[in-house]
Amino acid sequence: MTEAIRAENLVKTFGHVVALDGLSIQVARGETLGVLGDNGAGKSTLIKILTGYHRPDSGRVFVGGNPVELGSVDDARALGIECVYQDLALVNGLSIYHNMFLKRELLWGGPFGFLNHREMRRRARDALEEIGIAVASVDLEVGQLSGGQRQAIAVARAVMSNARILLLDEPLAAMGAREAGLIIDLIDRLKSRGDIAIVMIAHNYAQTLEICDRVILVQRGQITFESPATATSAEELLDIVRREYRAARAG
Amino acid sequence: MAAPHPGPLLAGGEREGGGGLARRAYTLLLRPEASVVLVSVALVVYFELANQNFLSAANVQTLSQFVAAPVIIACGEIMLLICREIDLSVGQVFALAPFLMENMNDWGVPEPLAIVGALAVCALIGLTIGLITIGLRVPSFITTLGMLFLITGLTLTISRGYPANTAGGPLLVDIMGGWSYAEILWALAIVAAMHVVLRHTRWGLHTIAIGGNIVASAEAGIAINRIKIANFVLTSTLGGFTGLLEAFRVGSIDPLAGGSNMMFLGVASGVIGGTAIAGGAGTIIGGLVGGIMLGILQDGFTLQGINAFMFDIVIGAAILLAMVANIHLARLRGGGTQ
Repeated sequence: MTEAIRAENLVKTFGHVVALDGLSIQVARGETLGVLGDNGAGKSTLIKILTGYHRPDSGRVFVGGNPVELGSVDDARALGIECVYQDLALVNGLSIYHNMFLKRELLWGGPFGFLNHREMRRRARDALEEIGIAVASVDLEVGQLSGGQRQAIAVARAVMSNARILLLDEPLAAMGAREAGLIIDLIDRLKSRGDIAIVMIAHNYAQTLEICDRVILVQRGQITFESPATATSAEELLDIVRREYRAARAG
Repeated sequence: MAAPHPGPLLAGGEREGGGGLARRAYTLLLRPEASVVLVSVALVVYFELANQNFLSAANVQTLSQFVAAPVIIACGEIMLLICREIDLSVGQVFALAPFLMENMNDWGVPEPLAIVGALAVCALIGLTIGLITIGLRVPSFITTLGMLFLITGLTLTISRGYPANTAGGPLLVDIMGGWSYAEILWALAIVAAMHVVLRHTRWGLHTIAIGGNIVASAEAGIAINRIKIANFVLTSTLGGFTGLLEAFRVGSIDPLAGGSNMMFLGVASGVIGGTAIAGGAGTIIGGLVGGIMLGILQDGFTLQGINAFMFDIVIGAAILLAMVANIHLARLRGGGTQ
C-alpha cells in the first residue's frame, strides 16, 4: 500500500507537561487508523501537529514519502490534510453551502470579488450527492440540522476541498445510535473510494474497531498497543487501559 | 436549535423552489424586517389620520432628515454587532469630523480635500479602537466608552466650545447635505452598498461567521482580527461622514452635535430591524426599516405636539416594544440564539 502520511518520533511539551513523547504513526492511502486513549494521552496534540496548529519540539512528518514543514493550517491544507474538529467547525447561522465554502468562497470574476452564490450552491449539492448525503436544501441553516447531519456536512466539506488525509476528531461523540450509524456509513463510503487516508480519534472502542482497519492505543504520549482491528477486541483494549491505570496508581 | 431531524438525512423539509407559497409568505412575515415594515405602515396610517400633514411634502422631507443619520450610523453598528463588537463613540466622531474639516480648511486645505482629510482622521480613530480592542484585548464596550470621553474632550478643545459655520461652494454644500434630499439619498446609497458588502462579499460573510462561531471561524482560517478592525474603521468613518452631512445640512457645526443619543439611535435601528445583539445575525435592510420606524415615531409625535417631557418616555417604550417583539419573533422562526 502507498504511504499517505507518516510521523516520526514526535515530541511536544507544554511547560512541564509532555504531551507527545516520541510518537510515530504511519497511514496508507485508503487505510483508516483509529487512535484510542484517555483524555490527556496526547491524541489531540497529535492531530494539532498534523494540521499545522502546533509545531512539534522534535520529530518529522512525511506526506507521500516526502518530508514536509507544517508551519500553519494553510500549509497542511495545501498538502491535502483536512481535519473535522470535535467542536464542529460550522457556523450555525449560515447556510449549508456557505459553511461548506467557508474561507474558500467562490467569487465572480472581476475586480470586486462578489460571492458566486449560484456556483457554490451547485457544487455543494454535487459534493454532498457524491458522498451520499441527501439534504432537503443546501440553503438550510446549519443550526437547523441534527448533530449527525452537521458532522456529515463537516466531513463533506473536508472531502470536497480535496482531502487526501482526513483527520476526524471524535466524529461519533455525543451521538445516538442512528446518528452514529449515519456517520459510520459515510466513513465506509469514503473508505471504499480507496484514495483517502483517515485518522480517527475516538473514545468508543467497539465503534472504532467496527470502522477502522487498524487501531493504536496512546498513553502518556506514546503508543502502548497497536493491532489490526480484526485481531483485537474492545475487551482486550479495555484490559490494557485498566492494567495501565492500576500500575500508575500503584506506582 | 429547533427540531433536529433525526435519522435519514433526507429530511421532511420542502425542496428549493417547490411549492409551499403560503409557507414562504409565512416565513417572510416572520422576518424582523417585515414586521417592522408592517408596524411602520400602521404608524403612518395612524399619524396621517390624526394629523393630515403627516404625508405632506414638507413633512416627508423632515422625516427623511430624521431618518438619514441614524440609518447611516446603523450600517456601521450592524457590522460590528454581527461580529460581536460595538462602538459607543461613533456619536462623538460625528461631532468631531466637521471641526476637523473646518480646521483643515482654515489651514488652507481646499474644502473637498478637507472632507477627505477629516474622514481619514475618523478612519484612524476607528483603527485605534480596533487595535486597542484586538491587540490589548480590551472589550470594545470599554475601549469605545473611553474613546467617547476622549473624543468629546478633543472636540471641545479644538472648537474651544464654540459652534462654527460650514464653508464650501454651493454645489459642494448641496451634494454634502445642503439639498433637502441629499442626506437621505446618501443614506440609501450607503445602505445599498453595505447590503452588498454584507450579503455578497467575503468581508460580510466572514463578519457573520465570526459572530456565529468564532472558534469555527479561526479553524477555517478566517482573519478574525482584520475583519473586526475593518468594521471599526468602517463605523468611525461612517460616523464622521454622517456628522459632515448634518453639518452641511444645518449650515453650522456644533461641538455637542450627535453624541450618545445619535449612537443609540443607530444601534436601536439595527436591533429593531433584527440584528442580534449577541452577534451572528442581522441585515442592513433591517437597519434601514428600523431607522425609518424610529423616524416615523419621532416625527409623528413631534407633529402631534406631544409634551416634550413625555416624548422620550413614548419613544423609549416604543423601542423596548419593538425589540421585545423581535426577540420573540426570532424564537418563533426557530433560529438564532438571540
